[in-house]
Amino acid sequence: MGGTSKTLFRLGTILLLSLSVILSGCSGGTKLSGNKNTPEQSAGENNGGKVEPFEISVFIGEAGQQPTPDNKIYKMIKEETGASFKFEFLAGDIDQKLGVMIAGSDYPDLMTGNTKLTTAGAYIPLEDLIEEHAPNLKKHYERYWNMMKDPNDGHIYILPNYGVLNGDPASNWYAGPAFWIQKAVLEDAGYPQVKTLDEYFDLIAKYKEKYPTIDGTPTIGFEILNYDWRNWGLFNAPQHLIGHPNNGGVVVKDGKAEIFADKDYAKRYYQKLNEMNAAGLVDKEAFTQNYDQYMAKISSGAVLGMFDQHWNFQTAEESLITQEKLERTYIGLPLVYDTSIRDHYKDRPALNLNNGFGISVNAKDPVKIIKLMDRLIEEDWQKILLWGIPDEDYYVNEEGRFMKTQEQRDNFNDGTWKLGNKADAWVKFAPKMEGYFSDGNSTDAAAQPEEFKAGLKPYDRQFLEAYGFDSPVDFFSEAPENDIAYPAWSIDLVDGSEAKIVNTKQNELSTKYLPKAILAKPSDFDKVWNEYVSEIGKLNIKAYEDRINEVLQWRTETWSVK
Amino acid sequence: MDETLTKDRTVRKSKNEKKMTWSLIKSQSQLIYMSVPLLAYIVLFAYVPIWGWTMAFQDYKPARSFSDQKWVGFKHFEFLFKDDSFLQVLRNTLAMSIINLILGFTTAIILALLLNEIKKVFWKRTVQTISYLPHFLSWIIVTGIVATSLASDGIVNDVLLKLNLIKEPIQWLSEGKYFWGIVGASHVWKEVGWNTIIYLAAMSAIDPALYEAADIDGASRYRKMLHITLPGIKPTIIILLIMSIGHILEAGFEVQYLLGNGLVVDWSQTIDIFVLKYGLAQGNYSLATAAGIFKTVVSVTMLLFANWMAKRLGEERLL
Repeated sequence: MGGTSKTLFRLGTILLLSLSVILSGCSGGTKLSGNKNTPEQSAGENNGGKVEPFEISVFIGEAGQQPTPDNKIYKMIKEETGASFKFEFLAGDIDQKLGVMIAGSDYPDLMTGNTKLTTAGAYIPLEDLIEEHAPNLKKHYERYWNMMKDPNDGHIYILPNYGVLNGDPASNWYAGPAFWIQKAVLEDAGYPQVKTLDEYFDLIAKYKEKYPTIDGTPTIGFEILNYDWRNWGLFNAPQHLIGHPNNGGVVVKDGKAEIFADKDYAKRYYQKLNEMNAAGLVDKEAFTQNYDQYMAKISSGAVLGMFDQHWNFQTAEESLITQEKLERTYIGLPLVYDTSIRDHYKDRPALNLNNGFGISVNAKDPVKIIKLMDRLIEEDWQKILLWGIPDEDYYVNEEGRFMKTQEQRDNFNDGTWKLGNKADAWVKFAPKMEGYFSDGNSTDAAAQPEEFKAGLKPYDRQFLEAYGFDSPVDFFSEAPENDIAYPAWSIDLVDGSEAKIVNTKQNELSTKYLPKAILAKPSDFDKVWNEYVSEIGKLNIKAYEDRINEVLQWRTETWSVK
Repeated sequence: MDETLTKDRTVRKSKNEKKMTWSLIKSQSQLIYMSVPLLAYIVLFAYVPIWGWTMAFQDYKPARSFSDQKWVGFKHFEFLFKDDSFLQVLRNTLAMSIINLILGFTTAIILALLLNEIKKVFWKRTVQTISYLPHFLSWIIVTGIVATSLASDGIVNDVLLKLNLIKEPIQWLSEGKYFWGIVGASHVWKEVGWNTIIYLAAMSAIDPALYEAADIDGASRYRKMLHITLPGIKPTIIILLIMSIGHILEAGFEVQYLLGNGLVVDWSQTIDIFVLKYGLAQGNYSLATAAGIFKTVVSVTMLLFANWMAKRLGEERLL
């Protein structure tokens, strides 16, 4: 008998040891393969040995794929500047990864922006470095200089990747929040103008009655996603319905922010959803499904409408296009409660301070890195990075406009092709031109109006013609000038602060009570709603609102362009 | 053979017990050298990290030196125990853990007993392989499978509808009362085959003569299971039980996190999820550490208790 337990123990020890050996072997392995993936080139390929090769290690805070070793754009960068990149993409949970990085002060040269890293002092201040070595970057960011400063200590740590605009760029693709509806529903109803929430649900109800199944699957009237951090599908609609732009969890009126989760105009929306649920329009599984199930439902073409951000379900829509179910793709509608309210869904891109690159305190040669970024922000390089190589990835027509052939267009939508022919991992987070080049071409291929039109599928062209619009964006009202302090959702609530804890708790309450309220019998709705409001009342919401207002005010004071 | 060895050892031990001489150390130096890496391993990976517990009593800020940290005493423990939802979270953790423990043990032992009765090696292997394969799937995949099969058009509802047991598809994941059961069942499906292996190994060590003797006495299959096989694997069961009781506050994290939603949050949130929300996601590493210490203290207490119980019952012990 005694033998059994001892044997077990010995077995356990051996297992443990071999496991540790295997594990250490594994981690060594990943490092090796990481090295292999960087384009290694002999020094001889550099122009007459003039440029000195150097490698920049880059941490990208989201999942991604390594470019191929012979990627043509990275090769060009290496030939001109000597710089090659060693990318590390996020695998797994970002908080966990950052925790490990911070605990060991183990930072690569460049890292994408994150407030956790800023708080830990992982970035170096950039203002002097830019003043001294990077005239182009300085010029690029000139108008935004004050906005880029960290509210906590006034230094610039991150070079924002989006939101530095040259002119008012045309856009044809709307990425933001809206009430989405299948083109088939509008087509079936004779292309009506839809402005209010009530009209929207009427359309959906009628269509669902007429077509109870789509391609064999039961039609889903309205879909809601509320899963993990993708929770806005349930939370954010009320602020838009009263004509406010997306400020996250608050509505800002006259520079003053307050939460809207428990307000009457929020109740109105959820009560409507409650009625719609009773009428069988809301998906029964809406609140239990995960993101994959949500995407699968949209890809099946059976979902008539939902409130969401376009980029969030973009891949599902792409799958519909691949299946050639163009009538099942979506149009975003800027709905409001009644027609007296002007919709404010579309906004001007605001500077996103939580995104873009910062140089870490461990970088061996920050000057070299900033000089490289300074070179790459110049227009000739921007054209290469954003459009590609002329006559290879696009062509220039007689009027000097950049255009693409269908093949080139398809390439640009092909992930595998991009790994070898575009510097996507770099471009996405590096400082970049947005708007127009000096020759009037759009910086973004998809925003070039004639290029967009040429790329439209016949069905979409016909659909837009029926409405007399040039692009789906025309469904939205023109965006008014943003408030200086906009948007409130980018405010750092400061980890561990009362404001952040309150915000977490409020989100938890909403996740718990809103589904309950929507699924309740219509006669019970008020009861659940009152319980929800009283639970929110128990939280110290003021701490949260105060933090937002404090930063909004700070922004208004320091960001004003003098 | 085993017994004589131990006797031999005790004799030698008593002879040399009093004098720990250099010559003794020298003569055993190879043994000592061999144990150094192991000791170093344990010190480095099991004892040095305990130093990190100091974080629980500070307002820990990363990337600052130890002397720069602010000491706050038991603040984080207070936050834990004063929070309304913590009690609920504790209840969920314990409940799911105990369900997993009981279900895990009974199903594994029953499956092992049944497998042990199969005489055709081919069938035995087939059943075993099929039942332990899910062990190699990660929870993210398993929860994906679970969520899909429990969907309103999933296989579970399909089967129940076809059998006319229900009239309408049940929304399994939207009712708190089903949640613990779903978690337990998922655990069983994933781990039952794997947990069976060790019992089968223990069963193979039982002397066949016992079965033959029982046959002669005219014992039935069930009698043999009850009086030979089960007592034969009892030490294994007890040891494994003691070891699992130490993990009583680890009901898991992935399943509850991935399957949970707003409607069942009162039943699905475990300590680990709570810590993730209010500790790691908030950059509040001190709170996470405090919760970790709490869990460790409970685990060690439970382990010692179970061990003591085993001793009282005259059973095999771990310590």
